[in-house]
Amino acid sequence: MTQTPEFKGTHLWDRLCWAKENLEPHQSDYRVVYEDSVDECCRILVPDPNWMACALAGGILPEVWVYHELAKDEAQPDFVKHTRGYLLHDTEPVEAMTEEQAIEYLILKDCPQHVVETWNEGNRPTMVICKKEQLPQTREWRNAWRISDELAA
Amino acid sequence: MAGKIIADTLEHSTAGSIATNYVVNGVEKCWVNFNGTGTVAIRDSLSVSGLVDGGAGNYTVNYSSAAANTNYTARHGSNQYHSLVTNGSKATSSSAVYAANPSHTLVDTLEIDYGFLGDLA
Repeated sequence: MTQTPEFKGTHLWDRLCWAKENLEPHQSDYRVVYEDSVDECCRILVPDPNWMACALAGGILPEVWVYHELAKDEAQPDFVKHTRGYLLHDTEPVEAMTEEQAIEYLILKDCPQHVVETWNEGNRPTMVICKKEQLPQTREWRNAWRISDELAA
Repeated sequence: MAGKIIADTLEHSTAGSIATNYVVNGVEKCWVNFNGTGTVAIRDSLSVSGLVDGGAGNYTVNYSSAAANTNYTARHGSNQYHSLVTNGSKATSSSAVYAANPSHTLVDTLEIDYGFLGDLA
């Protein structure tokens, strides 16, 4: 297995370029299905194979709270440009994760915060982690897809 | 990192020279190629954490390394009639990209490419 160099302080993009050259992509079978709005069809989060390789290797990706801090900055009404990008590069990278831990990280990074916070508060879950084989194999009526009771179970 | 070269200019023996800031600023900071049909899957990418399948012809690309601001230039294409990125759909950490048919209806597409040029955070 390729050993990740000591990357703290290295620009995140440089780390990702290193990973692209040195790590084997990992196609995950996991998918995250969530409902962002009652008026829209469900959304499906697909993990990137190169990103998943970084997560499994460890020492490359920043802590997930870094993305949340940048999102807070961007939400400010006077936001023009990120001034705390150094958080991405200078924060201690996260250690190697299992695939399941990586999916949890990805949910925290890329799913809307209101979904993450309230997915289990209603009378049925609005977010489900499943295997891709559990999704419909054709995209017929894709814009009407909802989380089924079968998938939620 | 090992192997660092610091140079302001690259010079070719016959083809002339180019300032390295052209290279630094002109490189795509993120790119992805994916299949937007069936079970949506990413074929290859750089600096992408994942993709959101938001419905027929409606996808969101999430970046690993965020852009400095939303003034970056997005490049996109698909094997449908056209693809598009709208102003409101761009954030520093993601962008929505759509594929549409000649009637401008959003439709799934077998091959879709997306990338951006701009400054990183």
